[in-house]
Amino acid sequence: MMPHAQKAAIFNKDEARTDWHDASLWMVRKKRDFAVSEIPEWEFLREFASDIKMHTLSKLDDYLESFEKAAIQNGAIVHWAADAKEHNDIVLSILNKHQAKKMVKSKSMLTEECHLNEFLEHHNIEVIDSDLGERIIQMLNEPPSHIVLPAIHLKKEEIGELFHRELHTEKGATDPQYLTEAARHHLREKFHTAQVALTGVNFGIAETGEIVVCTNEGNADMGVHLTPVQIHSMGIEKLIPRRSDLAVFTRLLARSATGQPVTVFTSHHRNPKPAGEMHIILVDNGRTEQLGKPDFRSSLKCIRCGACMNTCPIYRRSGGHSYETTIPGPIGSILTPGIDLKKHGQLPFASTLCGSCTDVCPVKIDIHTQLYKWRQIVSEAGLPEGGNKTMMSIMGSGLASPSFFHRLGNIGRKLLRLFPGKERFLSFTVWTKDRDLPKAPVESFREWYVKQTKDGQ
Amino acid sequence: MASKETILAKIKSNRPNLWPLPDVPIFETSVTDKKKLFIQILERGGSKVHCIDDSSQIHQVITTHFPENNRMVSTLPLLEGMEGITTLHPDFYEGTEVAIIEGLIGVAENGALWVTENELGKVRVLPFIAQHLIMIISAKNIVGTMHEAYKALGLPTTSGFGVFIAGPSKTADIEQSLVIGAQGARSLLVIVTP
Repeated sequence: MMPHAQKAAIFNKDEARTDWHDASLWMVRKKRDFAVSEIPEWEFLREFASDIKMHTLSKLDDYLESFEKAAIQNGAIVHWAADAKEHNDIVLSILNKHQAKKMVKSKSMLTEECHLNEFLEHHNIEVIDSDLGERIIQMLNEPPSHIVLPAIHLKKEEIGELFHRELHTEKGATDPQYLTEAARHHLREKFHTAQVALTGVNFGIAETGEIVVCTNEGNADMGVHLTPVQIHSMGIEKLIPRRSDLAVFTRLLARSATGQPVTVFTSHHRNPKPAGEMHIILVDNGRTEQLGKPDFRSSLKCIRCGACMNTCPIYRRSGGHSYETTIPGPIGSILTPGIDLKKHGQLPFASTLCGSCTDVCPVKIDIHTQLYKWRQIVSEAGLPEGGNKTMMSIMGSGLASPSFFHRLGNIGRKLLRLFPGKERFLSFTVWTKDRDLPKAPVESFREWYVKQTKDGQ
Repeated sequence: MASKETILAKIKSNRPNLWPLPDVPIFETSVTDKKKLFIQILERGGSKVHCIDDSSQIHQVITTHFPENNRMVSTLPLLEGMEGITTLHPDFYEGTEVAIIEGLIGVAENGALWVTENELGKVRVLPFIAQHLIMIISAKNIVGTMHEAYKALGLPTTSGFGVFIAGPSKTADIEQSLVIGAQGARSLLVIVTP
């Protein structure tokens, strides 16, 4: 796997495109700021949301059992999946039971995490992602680059060309209205012919057994209500205790995600439609492991709004694909090292630790603190190799000894005077790759101070 | 079954100490004219709003906005002459130009309207499959915030599906350009009765 820094470097080669990506996401961040400013009790809501989630995690086993009981009473069928494989097998068994060959799916990061599409396609099931952005990247055979805005990395010209190829739109057409209309017709046909619909879950309510799905396009509802069989895949951390808790979370979610006051559709599914079947799959896939890590368990509070991505200076200028994880950006960088430290151990370093992610997080996850803590673990495990380590050990011994520090300063200033501009001799560290070091001063503060006290006497 | 036991056992050994569950107050809006805010937020989100003085004007408002004789499906008993719910088969409603339904609660702070399957004649797909959607709500049922809305809703007993609808279906998945009319209704007209 290519390290994040290397992938980011490739992304940055196209400077205009990097600027465009940066600006698109910053616009979403600004919309969020405006939406937040309309709620005077915003900070209280964050605190309540955080406490509700922490409380749920501290009694998650009880709440899962209450949820299951209520859901069964409602007439839903509840399944438990320890890992991705079991989740995928359950979905396939439901499809097979109904001899279904076509399934429409609405946005679900969990099924991305489980690589459900590839699995089902391997078993000759046609899977149609029905969210516009998801459909676009599915046609391109790419993973989403953002959890809320899956196709944020693509230009309309590229989408126009793709739709010309796949949906026979006019060549060269790039108008978003026109392209969306083409997708609407294409997807309507799919909604009517699929036998099964699968959605992700934003919130599961323990007291009622309901599952809540938030969308803007209406695609999740079109799928669920038009097909006889509905499946809802839900990570076990999506539970909340009470229906009234939704007031807190619906106020926070869309404002944080896109700056809307609420998503266009907030659907509460309690039981199957007449003559229909409703399945809920509760998925662990590493979540109970994360729950056992005191420093990192609060990452399970995440409601997947994507605000930490939109605000992150690294994410905005490196793109979601550079992370090579299902969930990119700051939150992904604290969720994924626990799954595979060797593979994802470099991600906690893809941050400036500026803390902006923590500031915007609607459920108050201390993301930048956890990034820092992961760095300790990664360094102790002897990862990552390379320049940073050499530099750190030089800096370490330099700063620990005043005389060595003094000498190091002298050498540094001399070298800077001899080789001004791009400091090639420091090429073993990435620091000087895009930065010029300042002009070397004639003397150090210490030298000046010594002179002053001498002259003064 | 085995996985259920494994997951629950793992949670029991890994969960943190009991964290207290907070009592969330019913935050209200500081805005005094809730109806005005409701209309303002709906219009900002791309919906049309039409206020009337008397329910008898509903029919006229609808024909003003949709003068052509299109397929209109309504679950409201007062709208005679329109197509009602004749079958629960959802595909039957493809081709519906306008669906007319009643909203139970309106939320001023975000322009959302609550509707359950009971107001949809048990045809859950109706507000999504129609090309255009009309929702009728009484100004008396407009509350300030989501807290007040959920308080008024209580727990579901008679309905298996409920949804807050806050505008026409929309997307910004192509270069963040807002497009109204994604997979669901292309427009939302809210008629506010006294």
